[in-house]
Amino acid sequence: MFRLFGYFFEIIRGSVITARHFIVNLFFHTLNLFGIKTKRKGAFTIQYPEQKSEIAERHRSLHRLMKRENGKPRCVACMLCQTVCPSECIYIEAAEDPDPEIQKYPSTFLIDISRCCFCGFCVEACPEDAIRMDTGEVELAQYNKDDLMLDLDFLLS
Amino acid sequence: MVEIFINDSAIKVKEGTTVLKAAEKAGIHIPHICFHDAFPPEGSCRMCLVEIEGHPCLELACSTQVREGMKVYTETENVRDARKGVLEFILAEHPMDCPICDKAGECTLQDYYEQYGLFESDFLEEKERKDKKVDIGKGLILDRERCVLCTRCVRFLRDITKTGELGVFERGVRSEIGIFGDQYIDNNYAGNLVELCPVGAITDKDFRFKTRNWFLKKGASVCPLCSRGCQIFIEYHPGFARFKVPKRVYRISSRVTSRDQSQKEKGYWICDIGRYGYSYMDKDRAENIILKQKNRPAERGEAEAFLGEKIKKLIYRNKLQRMGVVLNTWLTNEELFLARKIFTLDLELEKVFFTELDTGEKDDLLLTADRTPNKKGAEEIGFEINQIEKQKLFDETELLIVFWSSPFGLGSITELLPELSKVRTKILFTPFKRKWNDAFDLVIPTLVSAEKGGSFTNIDGKVQHFDAVLSPPGEARAEWEWLVSLGKEIEVDFNSYLGMKFPYDVYKKMKDKIEFFR
Repeated sequence: MFRLFGYFFEIIRGSVITARHFIVNLFFHTLNLFGIKTKRKGAFTIQYPEQKSEIAERHRSLHRLMKRENGKPRCVACMLCQTVCPSECIYIEAAEDPDPEIQKYPSTFLIDISRCCFCGFCVEACPEDAIRMDTGEVELAQYNKDDLMLDLDFLLS
Repeated sequence: MVEIFINDSAIKVKEGTTVLKAAEKAGIHIPHICFHDAFPPEGSCRMCLVEIEGHPCLELACSTQVREGMKVYTETENVRDARKGVLEFILAEHPMDCPICDKAGECTLQDYYEQYGLFESDFLEEKERKDKKVDIGKGLILDRERCVLCTRCVRFLRDITKTGELGVFERGVRSEIGIFGDQYIDNNYAGNLVELCPVGAITDKDFRFKTRNWFLKKGASVCPLCSRGCQIFIEYHPGFARFKVPKRVYRISSRVTSRDQSQKEKGYWICDIGRYGYSYMDKDRAENIILKQKNRPAERGEAEAFLGEKIKKLIYRNKLQRMGVVLNTWLTNEELFLARKIFTLDLELEKVFFTELDTGEKDDLLLTADRTPNKKGAEEIGFEINQIEKQKLFDETELLIVFWSSPFGLGSITELLPELSKVRTKILFTPFKRKWNDAFDLVIPTLVSAEKGGSFTNIDGKVQHFDAVLSPPGEARAEWEWLVSLGKEIEVDFNSYLGMKFPYDVYKKMKDKIEFFR
């Protein structure tokens, strides 16, 4: 009997909390509707997959590599991003470019997104502004872990 | 002895010492770019300016000799300003392409800018463009923009190798390093230029763009490629957490040590054979114990039991003279000592031979004709290194134990195979996977000298100890470990092998037994 009482008590308590949220939010939304400014704003819901919230300008999202004017990667494979990366998720192999002005370019550029912690140190370290994290891509889930290994062609596109 | 004062601290040095050397002795670093211990002072970079009391202007520390009661100041306002000025002039024509420069991270100029510079350049002019990629022979690439004209390379080729392929051409701002026409650098010590260059002006194709030098770790070792036994650093990549690195060893560099006083000048250099001949450490390495009876990689215990059983059978049948052993002079002192103890003293074998020595051309500086590291050691331990007698080795032999990876100076593999097939049991200790491994009943993987500890005795009779730098591949263990367990297995003199857990334990035994190693 006592246990049954506890069961109903918890249900009623939950309903009261929900109702309180509803009434409080309704109050602030109503004030807002009449143009009265309050410190607290009423809560609202975004219907996520269909509707998306705006991303701030200084956000960090999926990496991309910049290109030179002739389409070659701007990266000179100095490996500073690889050095500074705290989660060791970048791997670069350099190769010799026939152009003596460029000399060095990355033949392999791998980013293991499954390890990346999006700290943005690679962007800070880059002396050529070759790597940026401003694509706005934040939905990075994959069914296969191997798909999270991004290569040079993907990062350039 | 002369007493001088550097930054007010007194130090006594020999007469004729330069201020820079005296300061180094006192633990004060005076920045220098063109000065190198192996050469007489040149004084072209002007980085080593110091203030000496009583002198009207700043003096060069690298070429000023000490005088009784001299007072030197290395950190005054004047000196620091002068250093900054010198750096600014050097950097005015420096391309600052550190991101693509192989020297970045160990560059003198980079370090000095961090320590003594840190200024904004006042030069507004465009930097002068010069050739960025000049082939100067022997896989070396010269970048004239990066060059600071310290002329270390010119002096090295003129004074040490006495070949003089490089020279300074033109004058003033147009001066540049170059070769004479099409006479490319072609000597056995050219690789030293890369290490000698204080900036990244000379880089070598072997290391160029392979990795950055701050990823590499240095391990001290002794070069096993000739009997000189130069002290080297093996620079290897410890690997990344998630990515596979294509190779382990990236380069070999020289290790400056206080060797014999008579050899001191030579201690700075290593030859190109030692410098570029490191690929054997990663190529075709044997990793598994292969027992021919079973078609799977065997366990260590199985291999030891197999080996012990075969020898014990011969002991019981009293036919020990039907056992042959082929050793080599790449083994360390410790291993040769154990081999002598087991095969010559414990088992009293007659058929203990050495592989044919690997010989090459000798040169005047370091390289010796004998291209194996430990012939002197083997002789001191008590072996006689004679020409191997094919007849004697294969005659009535039932058990053959071979250390090393190639037909030991007895012709090609195909010539040797019919002889080998007559021997009932053949056992091979080898670090490498080679074709002729298939001919053996038991193949035991062993280590190269970079992976094991021990000591080599060089051609001058100097015993040089070294530790393991790289980790062993797969199941492979050092020869001395196998020999210790073999010594225990045959149970002739079991007790003396107890407590041999490190190469130095063996060496301590050696010191007791042999006068030479004391």
